[in-house]
Amino acid sequence: MDRYEVIVVGAGPSGLSAAIEAAKRGLNVIVFDENDKPGGQLFKQIHKFFGSKEHHAKIRGFHIGEELLAEAAEVGVEVVLGATVIGLYSDKEVSVRIGEEIKHYKGDTVIVATGAAENMVTFPGWTLPGVIGAGAAQTMMNIHGIQPGKKILMLGSGNVGLVVSFQLLQAGCEVVALVDAAPKIGGYGVHAAKVARCGVPFYLSHTIKEAHGTDQLTGVTINEVDEKFRPIEGTEKYFEVDTICMAVGLSPMSQLLKMAGCEMEDNPKRGGQVPIVDEYGETSVSGVFAAGDVSGIEEASSAMIEGKMAGVCVCGYLGYITDEEKDAELLKLEKDLESLRQGMFAPKNRGKLIEKTEEGIDISMNLLKKGYVADDEIERFPGVVHKVGVHPVMECTQNIPCNPCQDACSKGCISIGNNITCLPFIKEDSNCINCGMCVASCSGQAIFLVDEDCGDGTATVTLPYEFLPLPEVGDKGYGLSRNGEKICDAEIVSVKSVKAFDHTNLVTMKVPKEYAMKARFFKCS
Amino acid sequence: MSRITEHPILGVKEEKKLVSFTFDGKDLQGYEGEPIAIALKANGVMIHRYTKKEHKPRGLFCAIGRCTDCVMVVDGEPNIRTCVTPLKEGMTVQTQDGVKAM
Repeated sequence: MDRYEVIVVGAGPSGLSAAIEAAKRGLNVIVFDENDKPGGQLFKQIHKFFGSKEHHAKIRGFHIGEELLAEAAEVGVEVVLGATVIGLYSDKEVSVRIGEEIKHYKGDTVIVATGAAENMVTFPGWTLPGVIGAGAAQTMMNIHGIQPGKKILMLGSGNVGLVVSFQLLQAGCEVVALVDAAPKIGGYGVHAAKVARCGVPFYLSHTIKEAHGTDQLTGVTINEVDEKFRPIEGTEKYFEVDTICMAVGLSPMSQLLKMAGCEMEDNPKRGGQVPIVDEYGETSVSGVFAAGDVSGIEEASSAMIEGKMAGVCVCGYLGYITDEEKDAELLKLEKDLESLRQGMFAPKNRGKLIEKTEEGIDISMNLLKKGYVADDEIERFPGVVHKVGVHPVMECTQNIPCNPCQDACSKGCISIGNNITCLPFIKEDSNCINCGMCVASCSGQAIFLVDEDCGDGTATVTLPYEFLPLPEVGDKGYGLSRNGEKICDAEIVSVKSVKAFDHTNLVTMKVPKEYAMKARFFKCS
Repeated sequence: MSRITEHPILGVKEEKKLVSFTFDGKDLQGYEGEPIAIALKANGVMIHRYTKKEHKPRGLFCAIGRCTDCVMVVDGEPNIRTCVTPLKEGMTVQTQDGVKAM
């Protein structure tokens, strides 16, 4: 039986981060992962991440994955793929199935970073071919380069449902509806808004009544539900679809920890059965740590920090670093983690109805119910101002821990204020040079450059564009409103694609000036 | 279902080697090393198996090897998770009925 100082289960963002911290301090580390590629779900994430620099903000998930793998290779982390851990015992013995063999390993410490599994909901027809998990859709389109379907209904309006809906549009699929039984959109408003402006309708307080088809999915009926989630008769709506995607939450895959005898609890705020851990992830079994989604559903950015914490802790546990060194490292990581757990989507605020921003501004109710901020609501947010000449309009209306816009502007036009969750605003004496860096840097695609009056009755709106085909200068079409309706004629006057924008193209359209604050997307005629 | 030839973020996929395999006796093609299920999907195959008791169709569901909905008979061996099993030249893939080939 081989012995390692650290055995890590799972080579996702958390497990790899943990392994890197331990390996770079000289511990011998082995990582097991059941998949044939490391990186967990990071390589399916093609959107730009939120947060600040320390959290890899504005970097796309798969690039973060590439960075992690390079770092792991550099410090000599050994990753065994196709290796399913099937047993974990209280004396830190690990059974691993590799091919047709079962091998046993002994760890001085064990870090469990197994992540989470998708939840499902059942309805008549849910087993039909064509009904899939949102993760499956991501795997198909972003890893294997195939469309999951042509016409798709998304169930679930959390960040996964919203982000995957956008990715489906990017893959050239049609999203016919985004449905959620909850009365309000669960994920970030900015993620919803970029889906809504493409014309995807949101059906909140709706759920699937039935999926239709005999051999495969051919359509779906949804109906409205009341405040107790009971179906309301006569509210049925039918959609012809070949695919239903379910994005209805995640559950920690904590079975190994339970098997090892760790104390567990049912904690809905953490997503289900989770180990009871201290603030750095140590379970009730000495030397066994949990990091990432397995100890509470959050997201990749926090999973990476939790992984690092566990990595630092095992170094301290085995005496590779002094208590002072350990505490100093942990303090830094704790600060990073704490800054991610701020704002209205913080774990502590789960399930709470928040009606005002930290600045005391009323949240857009239209955003929560329909996915976009209404024309008569948008003006009250601090990022939305009127100025002469080109200036940024930042339609950032919820307190999310994110600040790349502030750093993106070399002229210092944009400020977040003291707290990373504050809504951005334009500084009074600022001078926008129309460089577009703020537009490309906004992970929520919520910043536009607007010249409200070009002097000839027109206005220009520069918007982030991540679709193909990319419009060309001279293309004529329509300006779309925040809910994707054609509201005016529009002509493309500039298209910028530079490396620093990282595939977020900046498309500038000319619209009649009365639509300067209303047109937010372009559609070719 | 269509393959994505050019993606706005991921660009153009590098061309992989085409290989031949059979599905229920029909000759099909797919890319070497991609999951069998993806090659089937590209060829429009939706049904991977029928359940034993009620004979209900099942297809690709989780696509990461967890749910077992997509298992098929591959080279004579049943219960192969086609979503995580790489395609090879000359493979024989069959729709599974219960735990055997149709």
